[in-house]
Amino acid sequence: MLQINHITKHFGDYKALDDVSIHVRKGSIFGLLGPNGAGKTTLIRIVNHIIGPDQGELLFDGRPMTQADVDQIGYLPEERGLYKKMKVGEQAIYLARLKGLDKATAESRLHEWFDRLEIDSWWNRPVEELSKGMQQKVQFVVTVLHQPKLLIFDEPFSGFDPVNADILKREMLHLRNQGATIIFSTHNMPSAEELCDEIALINHSRVVLSGALSDIKSQHPGCDLDRIFIDTVTHTK
Amino acid sequence: MNKILLVIQREYLTRVKKPSFWILTLVVPILLAAVYAIPIILASRPLEHAHVLVVDDSGLFQGQFRSGRNITYHEAGSLDYAKRQLSAHDSLDAIVFIPARETSIPQDAFLYYQSDAPSVTVQSDVNSQLQEILRNCILLDVHGITPDDYALLTGARIHLRTQDIETGRDGFLQIKLVVGGLLAFLVFMAVFMFGSQVMRGVMEEKTSRVVEVIVCSIKPFQLMMGKVVGIGLVGLTQFALWTLLSGVAMGGLRIANADMFQQAQSRNVTQIATKGSEATAQYQNARDQAARYESGEGVDHAVQDMLEGVSSINFGLLICLFVFYFVFGYMLYASLFAAAGSLVDNETDSQQFTLPLTVPLLLTILLLPAMINEPSGSLAQWFSIIPFTSPVAMLFRIPFGVPIWQIALSMGLLVVTFPLCILMAAKIYRTAILRYGQKLMWKDVFNFLRMKH
Repeated sequence: MLQINHITKHFGDYKALDDVSIHVRKGSIFGLLGPNGAGKTTLIRIVNHIIGPDQGELLFDGRPMTQADVDQIGYLPEERGLYKKMKVGEQAIYLARLKGLDKATAESRLHEWFDRLEIDSWWNRPVEELSKGMQQKVQFVVTVLHQPKLLIFDEPFSGFDPVNADILKREMLHLRNQGATIIFSTHNMPSAEELCDEIALINHSRVVLSGALSDIKSQHPGCDLDRIFIDTVTHTK
Repeated sequence: MNKILLVIQREYLTRVKKPSFWILTLVVPILLAAVYAIPIILASRPLEHAHVLVVDDSGLFQGQFRSGRNITYHEAGSLDYAKRQLSAHDSLDAIVFIPARETSIPQDAFLYYQSDAPSVTVQSDVNSQLQEILRNCILLDVHGITPDDYALLTGARIHLRTQDIETGRDGFLQIKLVVGGLLAFLVFMAVFMFGSQVMRGVMEEKTSRVVEVIVCSIKPFQLMMGKVVGIGLVGLTQFALWTLLSGVAMGGLRIANADMFQQAQSRNVTQIATKGSEATAQYQNARDQAARYESGEGVDHAVQDMLEGVSSINFGLLICLFVFYFVFGYMLYASLFAAAGSLVDNETDSQQFTLPLTVPLLLTILLLPAMINEPSGSLAQWFSIIPFTSPVAMLFRIPFGVPIWQIALSMGLLVVTFPLCILMAAKIYRTAILRYGQKLMWKDVFNFLRMKH
C-alpha cells in the first residue's frame, strides 16, 4: 500500500529523518512509535506531501506517489484544529470538498456519521460551542469522510475520555475491516499493542525496530511493548 | 470544483455573511447622507419665535433693529419699563440695552434676560445687528458713505480662474486636491483594512491548527492566494456597495426633500423681504443687493465652480485606476501581510513584522502635504512610480493630470513587483505556517527565504 524508501530530510543542519524505510501493508494497522521529537510528524508530513524529502521516494499502491494520491489519505493530526467560528456542518462539508468530495455526497455521508456518533444536532452550531471531545469527534469524521484508502492517525486518543476513546477504537477497527489501511502514531503502548499488526519504532531520526508485532514480541519474550519501547530507545541513544 | 475556488468562496462568504460587514456597508452611506441632510433639516426646522425689547439710550440704534422671521424687536422707552415688561410677560425673551454714550462711539451694549438665557440665534442676531448699525452710522456720519455704496463695495468680487493656457480650461486645483486626497486616503485605508484581515485570517488558521489539515488537501500557496483573493473580493464588494448605496441615498434624499431643499434656499429671500420697512426701503434695497452678492451669487459661483471642477476630472479613468491600484496594491501588501501572519502565534508578536510593511504607505500619506504644494514635483513623481508607494501617491496625482508614460511606468512596475512579493510571501508562509509554538524572528524569515522545498 505505502512504501517509504530511504527517506532523508534535513532542516538546516538538523537531520530530522535519516534513511527511513517503512512498508505498510494493505489492510493493516501500522503503529508508528517513538519518543517526542524522533521524526514521526516529519515523516507523516512527507507522506502527506506537506513537505518534500531531501532524498528517497514514496510508493503508493506500488507506483511513485503523486499529489493526486494525497486525496486518498485521511489525516488526523496530533495538533487538532477547526475554524472556531464556522458552523459544524458547513465546516465539515468545506473540508470534505477540499478533499475532492462533491457537496451532496459530503452532506449525506456527514449526516450518516453524525447520526452514528450522536452529534447531528450540533450541525448548525459554531465549533467553539462544542466541548473538546465533541470537536475531536467532528474532526475524526472529517478525516474519514472521503473514504480514504490510507488513514493516518497521530495520537488519536489524546483528548478523548475512555468512553469516546473506545468508540474511536471500534471505528478504527471497523474501517480497517472495510479495507482501509491505517498508520497509527502513538505513545500509548497498550493501545498500540491492542490494535497494531505491525510497528516501526523511530528514535533519533532512524528506524530502530520494525516488523510484525507478533514477531517482535516473540523476540522479546516476557516483555510488553512498553518495556520493549523503553529498552530499545535507551539502547539506541 | 477547483480547490482554490473553494477557499476563495469560503473566505468570501464567511466575511460577507458577518453582521459587521453589513453594518460597515450601511454606516458609510448613512453617514454621507446625514452629512448632506442634517444641515437642510436643521435649516428648515421652525425655530421658536423670540421677542426682544430694545432700550437705546445712545440714540444711535433707535428704530434700526430689523425684525426677522424668528425674532421681533420692540422699542421700549426706558430700561425700567422694559424690565417690568420682561418679568410680566413670559413671551418676552430679552432686553437689548445700549447705555448713554460717554464717547462718540458706544463701547458696551447689554443683553438682559430673566432665568432662561436667550438662544444662540438671538444672541448672534442682536450682535450682528449691533455691529452693522454701528458700522453704517460711522460710514455715513464720518465718511459720507451710504449703506447702498457700502453694499456695492463689499459685493464687488473678481473671480480668479486658474486655467491651462493650451486648452483654456479651468484648473480647479482645490477640487482636484480634495478628490486626489480622498482617493489616496481611501486606497490607503482599504489596503490596510483588508490586508490586516488577511493577516488575522492566516493567524486564525495557524493558532487553531486547522492549517495542518488543510495543507493536506491543498498547497499552502493555494490556501494563501485563496485567502488573499477572497478577502480582496470582499473589499471590492464593499466598495461597489458603498458607491451604489451612497448614490441611492443621495438621490433618494434629493427627491424626498426637494421641497425642504428649496425651502432652505428660499429662506434667505423671505428673510430679506420681511425685513423691508418703509423707513429703510432704500437701505434695504442695497442690503438686498449685498446679500445677493454675498450669499446668493457668491454661492452660485462656488457651486458652479465645484460642478465644473468635478466635471473637469476624468472619472472613468479615475475609477479604472482606483480599481487597478486598489487590486494590485492590495495583492502586494496582502500577500506580505499573510506572510507576517504566518510568522506569529498572536497579534502582539506581529508588530515586528507588520511595522516595516506599514512604513511605505504611511510615509506616503504623511508626505501628502508636501506633495500638495507640487503635485508634479520630483517627490510626488518618485513616490507615484515606486511600487510600494505608488497606489497612494499616484491616485493622489491623477486628478491633476499625469503624463501617460509615468502612469504606464508606475502600473508596469506594480504589475511586475506584485508576483515577486507573492512568491516571497509564499516562501515564508509555507514554512512558517507549520512552525507552532516558537517565536520566529527576522533571521528565521531569511532562512525560510533561502530554504528549498
